This record gives sequence, structure tokens and C-alpha cells, in this order.
Amino acid sequence: MRIIIAGAGEVGYHLAKLLAYEKQDIVLIDTDKDKLTQVANSMDVAVIHGNATYFSVLEEAQVSKANLVLAVTSSEETNIACSIISKQLGAKRTVARISNIEFLLKKEKNLLKQMGIDELISPESLAAREIKRLLKETAITDTFDFDHGVLSLVGIIVDEGSVLHDKSIWELAHLNPDHNFITVAILRNNETIIPRGNTVFHLNDHAYFIAEPDGIEHVLSFTSRERRTIKKVMVLGGSKIGFHTARKLSIKYRVKLIEKDKEKCFELADKLPGTLIINADGSDVDLLKSEGIAEMDAFIAVTGNSETNIISCLLAKNQGVPKTIALVENIDYIHLSQNVGVDTMINKKLIAANFTFRYIRQGEVLDLTSIHGVDAEILEYEVSESSYIAEKELKDVDFPKSAIVGGVIRKGQGHTTMGGFQFKPKDRVVVLSKPECIGKVERLFK
Amino acid sequence: MKFNFKIVVSLLGILLVINGGFMLMCLPVSLIYHEGGVVPLIISGLVSASIGGILWWSARKRTDDNLSKRDGYLIVTLGWLGMSLVGTLPFLLSGAIPNFTNAFFETLSGFTTTGASILNDIESVPKGILFWRSLTQWMGGMGIIVLAVAILPLLGIGGMQLFVAEAPGLKPDKLQPRITATARRLWIIYVGLTCAEFVLLIIGGMPVFDAINHSLTTMATGGFSTRQESIAYFNSPFIQYVLIIFMFLAGTNFTLTYYGFKGKFGRVWANEEFRVYMIGTLILGAIVSVGVYFNTGSDIERSFRNAMFQVVSIITTTGFVSADYTLWGPFLSILFFMLMFLGASAGSTAGGVKIVRHILLLKNGILELKRQLHPSAIIPVRLNNKAVSPEITYNVLGFIMIYLTIFVTSTCIMGLLGVDFVTALGSVATSLGNIGPGFGSVGPVNNFAHLPSAGKWFLSFLMLLGRLELFTVLILVTPYFWTRN
Repeated sequence: MRIIIAGAGEVGYHLAKLLAYEKQDIVLIDTDKDKLTQVANSMDVAVIHGNATYFSVLEEAQVSKANLVLAVTSSEETNIACSIISKQLGAKRTVARISNIEFLLKKEKNLLKQMGIDELISPESLAAREIKRLLKETAITDTFDFDHGVLSLVGIIVDEGSVLHDKSIWELAHLNPDHNFITVAILRNNETIIPRGNTVFHLNDHAYFIAEPDGIEHVLSFTSRERRTIKKVMVLGGSKIGFHTARKLSIKYRVKLIEKDKEKCFELADKLPGTLIINADGSDVDLLKSEGIAEMDAFIAVTGNSETNIISCLLAKNQGVPKTIALVENIDYIHLSQNVGVDTMINKKLIAANFTFRYIRQGEVLDLTSIHGVDAEILEYEVSESSYIAEKELKDVDFPKSAIVGGVIRKGQGHTTMGGFQFKPKDRVVVLSKPECIGKVERLFK
Repeated sequence: MKFNFKIVVSLLGILLVINGGFMLMCLPVSLIYHEGGVVPLIISGLVSASIGGILWWSARKRTDDNLSKRDGYLIVTLGWLGMSLVGTLPFLLSGAIPNFTNAFFETLSGFTTTGASILNDIESVPKGILFWRSLTQWMGGMGIIVLAVAILPLLGIGGMQLFVAEAPGLKPDKLQPRITATARRLWIIYVGLTCAEFVLLIIGGMPVFDAINHSLTTMATGGFSTRQESIAYFNSPFIQYVLIIFMFLAGTNFTLTYYGFKGKFGRVWANEEFRVYMIGTLILGAIVSVGVYFNTGSDIERSFRNAMFQVVSIITTTGFVSADYTLWGPFLSILFFMLMFLGASAGSTAGGVKIVRHILLLKNGILELKRQLHPSAIIPVRLNNKAVSPEITYNVLGFIMIYLTIFVTSTCIMGLLGVDFVTALGSVATSLGNIGPGFGSVGPVNNFAHLPSAGKWFLSFLMLLGRLELFTVLILVTPYFWTRN
């Protein structure tokens, strides 16, 4: 597959990295020469220096042969123009990154489709969606539902009071006679570990499980963190993400949004009738206290400054807020989250890249998600009659070491899988895999 | 800041020419009914047109077509005063109102759509002159300057300044990108509704002459009647219901009426002011109906009709009378007095404070409680699901404060002139709100003839103040207006 990526910013870069593992032909276009050199040195991709809306540049990238054009520069106008021109020049599918949510309305989407833009991605809106998903439970760090919750991914922190501390996966199996959950990944410092039987849980590990609905309770009992249903949320920063987050959350929760700029506050107050907008500096501790930070169930820091976000989350933690989420610009910071004490750090560009990756893989994969900070993807495949693994038992399949089967959805029922499990056609299999062996896993289902 | 006197003079000229044209339009009526007034009308029309013509001619060499905000306020205020002065001619020359004070009061009461009258025997006035009296209201209702903007594209950019200074409401919703086109549409609706009402009144059995006059004064929310007893004279439920509906329409924002005609009812109902206006009128109507039923012993239908008629008449500041609300007991009298401060929708022909201002202020007041709890929160007042900027809230606060201050001082001044307490309250409230009937000796079945001359002049001033929504006139007496820069 020939894929053209316009924009070598963080979204473009991350996408190129994800796709390069897949052995796709990737052409990266950007106006920044230095960035391109850097990319060309670290990845097996072609780079073209130039403006992605120029015919000459697009022709040089052989846009007429492209299966996909991803316009993900930071400029909405460039992305839209690039997508439309590429489509006219013969590209099969186009994706444009946008920031104006008006485009995401159904009517406008159809219009843009007619013009030649097949899919739109808005990192801000996606990040807000992600935040909403993360707010489900205070005790868990990450969660994702497969097929409306017949199987769920649940992440917890192994803290001092946890029974998992210093136990191995085998020992854990004894605690789990019903076999209704399975450990799929452990995040320790910066390292993602796919657990084996002898893997031992350490203090402060982030442990991720795939669980059947009745297994979730069981998993939650492994952490001694306070469980609270979230009602009150404080959002720091009235940026686009802050706006989208408040807009999405105010349907379900009571939201307070804090923004420094008075003009912006008024604008936000106009667009967000259900949210209380506070005009204040987020670093003012007394003010945060007087606005009741201690009573909050969640604190979300999404200002433009990563450090401010992290520090204010720590402040919130200190005040007893059970759930904190910080937006960070620097992807490397994400791995710090467990060391620092912020529950989840998100990066909008990473989210956008993952979403786009998901879009590209549509058709081959039923569903796909990634966990913040974990260097692995969670994919959902369907077993067909001709699949290699059809009618085979799990223990007989030569599964790659960097991948693990989490569970199977059969006839709308979720099952966690042990060695003796036999795959049947039409089974939907949830697999966690490191990027480098996604290709191998895929072949098993072909 | 220099005034662009040439354009001010020139526009005043144009207004007087239009005024003269309207006077001459009364001629056919005079000729048909043979009740006199032909010669006075011709003279008045020619005088008005020629004064206007001379003014326009003297300023014909305009070099600068720019109209500043100041010029706008000056033109509107002077224009209204000038037209009212010239408008007295038909009354004076025909002898229908020989006294100049009375004639001026009557004319200004017409142009400002107040409808307060000093005529003791309306039926004896020649029909041509009565028609002029009704026409003043019709011109003043939508605004003569809005008309000038509508038919004279020469005003161009400056049209907006004039529109803002004259048309009631917070800010004009532009129906069309060009103000001229907006003004034209508003006038088309105005004329259309007037014609529709005329047809319905004829069907209801009203004589042709009365039907025309009442149509003109209803749509203007004016309230001049061709009968001494006002609407009570006709004693027809059908006519009263027709008038209730058209008074209500005249008190509706004309922009909404425009959308209504285009079938966009969702957009009409989405307007908060309209919802409050509609529901509020019905609730008040119901309360008063019950009151009337128990106070007068009329049957249910009659109580309802009389209650609705009086409520709509006062809220829309029309001032037609089909029953005397001062006879309905103290509670309803007080209620009607309070209703005088309501006013109908902004962007309608109604006078008074306007419902949208009450909504804004009330909401702001309630939100003030929430602001006490969260001192640094930004909690804007929301109207039609949009945040209203603090500047507009301040403007409204200022407006209502000035309105009440003027009401209080004016009542005192009326007292100083020897008018009794109830009459002073009623006459000031009704003049400032451009309503018509008041309380005490200027109640629904009385008139203003017996008031002292000074009182009449003062009330005339209040009418103009009310019609031009305070600021346009008051701004002229501030020092900022006259100092350069």
C-alpha cells in the first residue's frame, strides 16, 4: 500500500512510525528540511521537501498511485486543500486533520466527502472523547470495552496494599478460579512487558487485564485505591481540548472550567451553558481551594503547557482528588506518569495518530485501540474458515512472544482464554500485540 | 467632531416633503365625505412640502454624504419635532383643535403612537382631519425615518445610524444585508398586516371609514379611535377578537413576523422574548378574566373577551378601550398600572420598556446570587441560548434606571402642576410608555383636555422621550454630545 503523509509533525511522525512497521510504502511531505532528515535517518520512509498543496510536490510523491493520503499538518486549510487536490489527482482515499468541529457534523461531512475528503480527524475532539472514556472509574487507570462490554480492558496500579504485589502470574491464577480475567500487559517504568507465567508483579506496576463482565470486580479488588463514582469534574484550561472536554462531560457530570483569559472565558460561557466557567489562574492554589478542588472527583489539566498540567495534577492529587489526567505535548512525558503520580497523561497527537491508524486498518481489523503509555496495540480480529488458527487450540498455535490473546467473543459472549481454548470460525479474538509483530499476528488470522 | 449640518438639513427637508405627501393623501377622504377640511389639508400639505423642499434645496450641494452617530440622533429628534409642529396645521386650520398646545399634544400623541387625546367630541371632527390623525399614528408606528430609509436608497450607509436611533429595541436584526432592504421588508409586512386587518374589520361589519382608521392605529399600536367611546362603541365580539389578534401581532417583533410569513415557525418559537410575550399575555389574560368575572358578574365569554382586550391593549401599548378597567376593583387597577411598564416585544411598533429588557434584567438579578458564591466565575446572562455581553446588560440596566427615574420625577412635576396623585401617576406612565389611557381623571373613558397647558407640554415631551427610547433624545442634552471630540 502506498501512503502519503503530509506533515511530519508529531501526528505525522507517529503515524509514519506505526505504518512503517507494517511494511507499507510511505512518503512523508513537509516544509521543514531538518525534520525530514531526522525522519529519514530513523525510519524506512521516503521524504519530500515541499508544500503538500503544490501539484508538483504531490506529483513527485506519485499521488496518482497512492492508496491513501493523510493530510495531518497543523494547518486545517492546508490539509483540506491537500486532500481535495490529491483526490483529484487520483488518490484512492484521503484523510484530513481539522480543528473546526463544525466540519464533523453529518451534513458538512457529506459535503466534504463529495469534495474529496473521505475522513476527518480532529485531535482535540478525539482527545476529549478519550478523556471521557478514562473518567469511568476512579480506581482504574484505563479502560476499553469490546463489543459493548462483553469483554473489557481494565488497567490498575499495583500499590502497596495490593495482593498482586510480589506475586507471579501463576500464583495469580490460583486467586482466579473462575478464569474470568487474564493479564495482558504490565507497564513498568518505560517498558511494556507481555506477561508469561513466571512474570512477577512489582510495586507501582501498571497492570492491564482483559476481563469478562463479572471479572471486572475481581480485578478492581487488586488495587486498594478508593473507588468513587465521578460526579464533579474540574477542567483546567479553556483551550480547544478544554472546550471539547467540558462540552462532552457536562452532559453527565458537573463541570467547572478554569481559564486565565477573560475574553476566552466569556466565549466559553456562551458556548457551554452547562459548565461553570471560572476566570482565574490555575496555578493559584488558594483559588483552586476556594473553588472546591478537594471535593472534585476528577481533575483534568489541558492547558497549552505540559509542565503546568502535570504540576496542577499533582496539586489536585495532594488535595485528595482521586482521578487526575494531564495533557502533555511531549510524548516522552507519557511514560513518566506512573513515576510522577498523575493517573493518566494523554497526548492529542498520539490519539489522533492511533485513530488514523485504526481507520487505515478498517476491514482487516474489527477494532483497535491503544493504551496510554503502553507500547502495544489491542486489536480485534475475526477468525474465518480459512484462518490458520481456526479449529486449533491456543496452546498449539505458535503465537509471537510479543503478543498475547486476551479473550474471545463468541456469539455475543465474552470468554477469557486459557491454553486449552479452541478457536472456531466467526470467533472475534482480542489480541494485544507490540507494533513489531502485528504483521505476524495478522497472518494467523488469514 | 463637526456636525454634517448640510445632510441634517437635507434629510429634515425630505422628511417634511414625505409628511406633506401624507397630508395630501387625506384629501380624497375629505372630498368623499364632504365634511370640510379640504382647504386646510391642501394648505398644510403644501406648506409642509414647500418648507421641506426649501430645506432640501438649500442643502442640495452636499459634498459629504457621511452620516455620523451624532447626526443620526439630531436628525431623528429634530425630524420628529419638526413633523409634529407642521402636523398641527390641519387641526389648527380646520378649527378642529383651535388651541396650539392641544393641537401639538394631539399630533405628538399621534406620531409617538401614544393615543392620548384631548378631543371631547371626536365624531364632530371632519373625517379628512380624523384620517390625518390616524395617519400620524401609522407613520409614527413603523417610524417615518425607517420609511425614508426604505424608499430612499440615497441614504446608503447613514441609513443604519438613523435606523438605530429611531427603531425601538436593542438592535435591529438585519433581515437582509442592506439596511434599505430590511427597512423595505418591515414596511411591506406593516402595510400587509394593515390591509388584512381592514378586510377582517369590514367582514365584522365595521363601517369602511372606521375600519381604515382602526387598522391604521392598531398596527401602529397607537390607539386613536374614530369614536368617543373607542371600541366599546361597536359592541361586536368579532371586531374585538380581530383587534385583540392584530394588537398582539403589532406588538410582536416584526422580524419574527417576517419569519412567520416565510413559514419558519421554529425560528419564531425559538425566540425567548416571543415565548414570554405569548405565554405572559395568556396568563395575565386568565388572571384578569377571573377578576372581571367576579367583579362585574358578566358571563364567562364576555369576561374573558374584555379581560383579554384590555390586557393586550395595555401590554402592546395600543390603548384601545372596550371596557373601563378602573372599575374592576383595586387589585386589577393596580395590575393594569403595573402592566404599563411592561411594553411588548422589541422590534415591534409598541412603546414602553419592552419585554426583552425585563427578561434580561430579571435573569441578571437571579444570576447575581450565583455570582456571590463564585466571585471569579464568568456567568453571563443567556438569551435565546446565547450569552449576552455585559455591555448590553449595562445598557439595559441604565435604560430601566433612567426610565424609572424619569417616571418618578415626572410624577412629582405633574403634582407640582396641580394634578392629583392618581392622575399624575397614570398620565406619566401612559405617556412615557406610549399607551394612551391612564388612571384617575385621564382614565380609559376620560381624556386629557382638562390638564393644565404646562402639563400637556410636559407629557408631550415624555411621549417623544418614550417613543425614541430615551437615549436618542436624552443624548442631545448631554454635554458630550455638543463638545467637539
